[in-house]
Amino acid sequence: MIELQGLTKCYGDTRVVDDISLTVEQGEFCVLIGPSGCGKSTTLKMINRLIAHSGGKVLVGGDDVTTLPPERLRRRIGYAIQSIGLFPHWRVADNIATVPRLLKWPASRIAERVDELLALFQLDTDGLHDKYPHQLSGGQAQRVGVARALAADPDVLLMDEPFGAVDPLTRDALQVELSRVHRQTGKTIVFVTHDMDEALRLASRVALLNGGQLVQYDRPAELLVAPANDFVRDFIGRADLGLKLLSRRRVEEYSRAAQRTRNNALASASITWQVDADDRPMALLGGRLGEPDTARTVVTPEWTATPDMSMKEALSRMVWFRVTALPVLDSEGRLLGEVTMSGVMGHRP
Amino acid sequence: MSIGALTHPPSSRRFLLIAHSALLIALVLGMEQLAPMFRALFPDQDPAMYQRESFLNLTLAHLALVLLSSLISVSVGVAAGLFVTRPAGREFEPLVSTLAAIGQTFPPAAVLAIVVPIAGFGFVPTLVALVLYGLLPVVQNTVAGLGTVPSQTLEAARGNGMSTWQILWHIELPLAMRVIIAGVRVSVIINIGTATIGSTVGATTLGTPIIAGLVGNNLPYVIQGAILVGLLAIVTDLAFERLERRFSFGEEGNAA
Repeated sequence: MIELQGLTKCYGDTRVVDDISLTVEQGEFCVLIGPSGCGKSTTLKMINRLIAHSGGKVLVGGDDVTTLPPERLRRRIGYAIQSIGLFPHWRVADNIATVPRLLKWPASRIAERVDELLALFQLDTDGLHDKYPHQLSGGQAQRVGVARALAADPDVLLMDEPFGAVDPLTRDALQVELSRVHRQTGKTIVFVTHDMDEALRLASRVALLNGGQLVQYDRPAELLVAPANDFVRDFIGRADLGLKLLSRRRVEEYSRAAQRTRNNALASASITWQVDADDRPMALLGGRLGEPDTARTVVTPEWTATPDMSMKEALSRMVWFRVTALPVLDSEGRLLGEVTMSGVMGHRP
Repeated sequence: MSIGALTHPPSSRRFLLIAHSALLIALVLGMEQLAPMFRALFPDQDPAMYQRESFLNLTLAHLALVLLSSLISVSVGVAAGLFVTRPAGREFEPLVSTLAAIGQTFPPAAVLAIVVPIAGFGFVPTLVALVLYGLLPVVQNTVAGLGTVPSQTLEAARGNGMSTWQILWHIELPLAMRVIIAGVRVSVIINIGTATIGSTVGATTLGTPIIAGLVGNNLPYVIQGAILVGLLAIVTDLAFERLERRFSFGEEGNAA
């Protein structure tokens, strides 16, 4: 979908981007990462020609970007930056409608598309449609920014540290949401960040840059287990490698069928879930270290898991509540399965 | 004069505007009705009422002069401000700022003294003085207003595929409008007061009774002219304040 061929940018004698070649396939989530001044942002902006390149080529959907007028090119590519990039004098709906209006869509189609996007980002409440950016929370403003970038249904979405200015909790929620939107829409995304955890969490491929050069371009798991050199190892951080790997894994890949019982009687397995008539888990029988298999632990929401939770979070909950298994629940609170220590160790059922 | 306007809530500011406008119109049309009062206050003055021309004509002539000079100041000032904030004109910024500043440091009376020999007496030299005098606030505020637009907003506009003209028209000007209007407000208010000086070189303005009163030692004439100029300035100021508030995105004004 996007192809960089020997892309170079010089300011005077300094090469801020030096001969970068990489290909981002359709539907891929590519994260450009590296220390400050490594050229990641410059590389991103050369894709939609906000910065002109000095050498090499950029192909988007097979077309050389220099063959199109820059305005037309940019209307085909979504672009999202930190929330301050919203137009302060336009309401939320007008902000989202920016590119469709530039493309002169009919008003009815624009209104329809805005409603669709507000729903996709769960912004269709509290009359947000008519609010001004300063009336939004940081998380809401950021969602509007991403919605605006997606408005004209571009195939490619460029994001320049979009979550840099929000608090960690909101950032977490936004990352989960962006992953969901990426899965739902299948867009090709190029995302710039300096936060390795964010990269590992979101990316299907990570491009690690240093001094304007591409150091390694790989799947996140490969980056962790097979770093190209010491720089990569240092940048990822030598500590917590196991936890970083777990943060890439999702509970649904490692959960297994659960043993159920309707009464207090212990079933054959050492870990058994007592469920109510609606299949909601009420208690865990057994499954605690150092206690007899008959121990009964009442299930509380704090130590349950959902299919899209990371294994790192699941492990954290096991440690904190001192259980060796978590119930995996669907959105209605029904028992889907269980995730255990052997899942944490990487054992797939 | 705008202290009341600053401390009062918007609804009462609206009342102030209506009240002052009503008083202004009443005085312009019916100053003659106050003749007995002026005669009682100044028994030694005769006549105690300026009657060489109607106050309506004086006010309309005054307004025409201010309107035309402000129109020129604003067009030239905004154009100059825009030019020096574009990439092509950036190097002219210091030059334009200096020229506009010189225009304002020159006393209007001095401008009249220079222009009268060239352009003769009356309307034209006054217009030139007012245009020069009103230019600086407009240029300054246009440059400042455009400077308040965050660079990220501009980058977002570019990144979403807006052309240079679309960015200027849909993003930069609306966001800078409040500050630009504040500059126009200062410029117009200054010109309402300064226009009176034009009467020294024969322009018809509300300054005519003031000058006549000063020359002929007739205080009632001075009061009658000055009160109308003052009210005109207050009404204009209050009106501009309302206009400014329409463009205050992200602050109290537009939120409701």
